[in-house]
Amino acid sequence: MTPVLLACPKCKTPLPAAVANQRETNPCPSCAVPLQVEVFPALFRRNAPGQAGEALLVDSDASCFYHPNKKAVLPCEGCGRFLCALCDCELHGQHYCPGCLEAGRKKGKIKRLENERICYDSIALALSLLPLLLFYLTFITAPVALYLAIRHWNTPRSLVHATKIRSVLAIIFATLEIIGWGVGIYFLATSRSRSHG
Amino acid sequence: MAEREYHRLTPARPRSQFAIVSTGNSSLWLGKDHLLCVDSTSYTESYKRFYFRDIQSIIVQKTDRQRISSLILGFCAGICLLFLLVTDNTGIKVLWGIIAGLFGLVLLLDVIAGPSSYCLLRTAVQSEELASMNRLRRARRVLNRVRPLIAAAQGELTPEELAARLNQPPANESGTATASGAAATTGYVVDNPNAPPRIVS
Repeated sequence: MTPVLLACPKCKTPLPAAVANQRETNPCPSCAVPLQVEVFPALFRRNAPGQAGEALLVDSDASCFYHPNKKAVLPCEGCGRFLCALCDCELHGQHYCPGCLEAGRKKGKIKRLENERICYDSIALALSLLPLLLFYLTFITAPVALYLAIRHWNTPRSLVHATKIRSVLAIIFATLEIIGWGVGIYFLATSRSRSHG
Repeated sequence: MAEREYHRLTPARPRSQFAIVSTGNSSLWLGKDHLLCVDSTSYTESYKRFYFRDIQSIIVQKTDRQRISSLILGFCAGICLLFLLVTDNTGIKVLWGIIAGLFGLVLLLDVIAGPSSYCLLRTAVQSEELASMNRLRRARRVLNRVRPLIAAAQGELTPEELAARLNQPPANESGTATASGAAATTGYVVDNPNAPPRIVS
């Protein structure tokens, strides 16, 4: 069966070239839904086949760390292990072994592979502000917010909002709440001691 | 001051079209050599990168969502106005007036934002809906900004080239035919000499 290169998102009918790259909406020939279709050369590019790795014929040649029978072609830029063509994973001009690539993704060492971040600054700010609706909760949440903001001061923030303003605000609000509690407890204690005295 | 790594292309929009309680927002950012789709739940962010050299197509489909939502909002505002007219109590009249005004304001903003759209970005390995490009005008603005960057990374297709390539059969079709012919007699296909044969029943 011939694979469909370009199909209408609504009726899944193959789209003709006439509707593509027109810079304006054109009706789908099948369902008449208005579409603007932009097609780029990558649609027709064939993926390069992977390399199997050359067999090691001479003992003096370096062998792959993962495949001792295959000839090493380059070292991994993460761990320095020799890799054959099969184990070589190219990422934007840099060469890694599969292990380093996986570790880089999980631990965030390779920024381009990082696909998730926890925004501790937003959590700290929410913990310092939201419980104000029920003030008693701030007795617990203010120290937690302060701890999170300070503990994760240097933790990478959002990729797109990289400022420290949320952490700063969380520290300010949490500190004010803690001071408020301290002052409140102090006055409560002194007023009770006066009434007993 | 350090140069910003990403520039905002679209504001954050809920991923679900009729979300009342937030289900997370999606926004689109422009990087040096890629588009970054950020799905955020306020406390976590997940990222999808679409490199300019890998983007195969972007399809924007005009939808009826805005028309339907305008009709619903207009109907609600109309009902509120009707109650306002039939009520004698001044306090309740004011209340209905405020509610009708709120519906009217949302309706106005919805109409100003323009027709709604559904956007699909395709690469060799996935088709991703760009939830933040939910308005036709915004989608066109983003396309106009991104198109030259993708063209710089990949080159451009002439209309003749596009027509020829879309209409021609894929290059590996003959190979598949040979392989299926062989499979009919042998019962297996060797797709990759370094991988085990694929058994065809």
